Amino acid sequence: MPEQEFDALIEELRELGRAYAVPEAADQRQAVRRRLARPARRRPRARFYLSAIVAALVVAVAVISPARAAVVGAFRRIAGIELRQETARETLPATPSPIPSIRDADLAEARRVAPFPVTSPAVLGSPDRVLLADLDTTGAPRVVSLVYLGGTVRFDQFDGTLEPAFLKTAPNAEWVTLGDGAIWLPMPHPVTYVGRDGVARTETAHLAGPTLIWATGSVTYRLEGLTTLEDAMEVARSVR
Amino acid sequence: MARARAGDLDAYEILVERCTAPAHRAAVLLGAGADADDVVQEAFVKAYRQLGRYRGDAGFKAWLLAIVANETRNLVRSRRRRDGVLQRAGVRAGPEPHEPDPAETAVAGERRRFLLEKLRALDARDRDVLVCRYLLDLSEAETAMTLGLPRGTVKSRTARALGKLRDRMPVEEVPGA
Repeated sequence: MPEQEFDALIEELRELGRAYAVPEAADQRQAVRRRLARPARRRPRARFYLSAIVAALVVAVAVISPARAAVVGAFRRIAGIELRQETARETLPATPSPIPSIRDADLAEARRVAPFPVTSPAVLGSPDRVLLADLDTTGAPRVVSLVYLGGTVRFDQFDGTLEPAFLKTAPNAEWVTLGDGAIWLPMPHPVTYVGRDGVARTETAHLAGPTLIWATGSVTYRLEGLTTLEDAMEVARSVR
Repeated sequence: MARARAGDLDAYEILVERCTAPAHRAAVLLGAGADADDVVQEAFVKAYRQLGRYRGDAGFKAWLLAIVANETRNLVRSRRRRDGVLQRAGVRAGPEPHEPDPAETAVAGERRRFLLEKLRALDARDRDVLVCRYLLDLSEAETAMTLGLPRGTVKSRTARALGKLRDRMPVEEVPGA
């Protein structure tokens, strides 16, 4: 037995194990049950979206391919965000106006008034600003935005079960595995806000930097301003 | 077990209750620190979704620990990357919330602390087998399952790691042995 020569060391290690006090474990029963009970319903929906997207792409390719090699005009959608995979034709307004009815708040207030669970990426610490946008008559925001790192990073979250809120036009996009589905847009791209009334506010169009979009449960997230997918994913994974 | 596999959440809850403490201990010792509870929760959720793949070779606990070990590895990797992200973003990473390690103070005795230090200084592959075999008191088969290694590798790596560790320890004087 090679172990014999190490008997004393092994005994020390076992003793170390016994002496190593670990803080008490949290009771996971309820949390695990909650998590297991929830996403079972979500799955079919995510799959529905995926198949819808695949179908849309197939149709688009079938119609367009003979004329153009590139896939133009196909759109993708992640709950709450519709992505048009084309090169933007219209020029952006010179002075875009912000999303309607924005006001400043703090995280605690955002959590209180938003109709969905407001989260934040732990990695980025506390936000510089918290903005509530497109309030309804009761004051509940449709979009909550957290601004970090002196305004260079922006984290939007909104109820994705509503109709698309953002319209994005980008020629290149990459599918990413995160939440119920995610898209990475590495290049700056125009974004238009679609109001509650379903009207696209072109005056709100602005050029967004690299953006990661993903959906979990009913909430859709948009993280703008991190230059590499790896960094964006890192921040996204720390959202809680 | 069979009921849990059939999708019975009440049955699964019994497994969760029984395995939370060992899973949490494994996560802490394998390096998850203060995030051990998150790792454990994630592991239980993943384990449930993968129950169809459970073969019962080394018991549910070892199978769960394999997921815990994997999640812990991911966590450690992402912590390293996160520090990189923050540096690139111009933010100085704050002190880790779980420093100092509670064990640091709980482990009594100079030699034991020294052993822990040397154990931590081993590379992850060597350290993990020793942690599983002796600190967590798992059998060779359970260790193999937990770390996703063939049994022969566990055997040889354990011997090698013990050798390395012994070479780094001062000559032993066991009081009262």
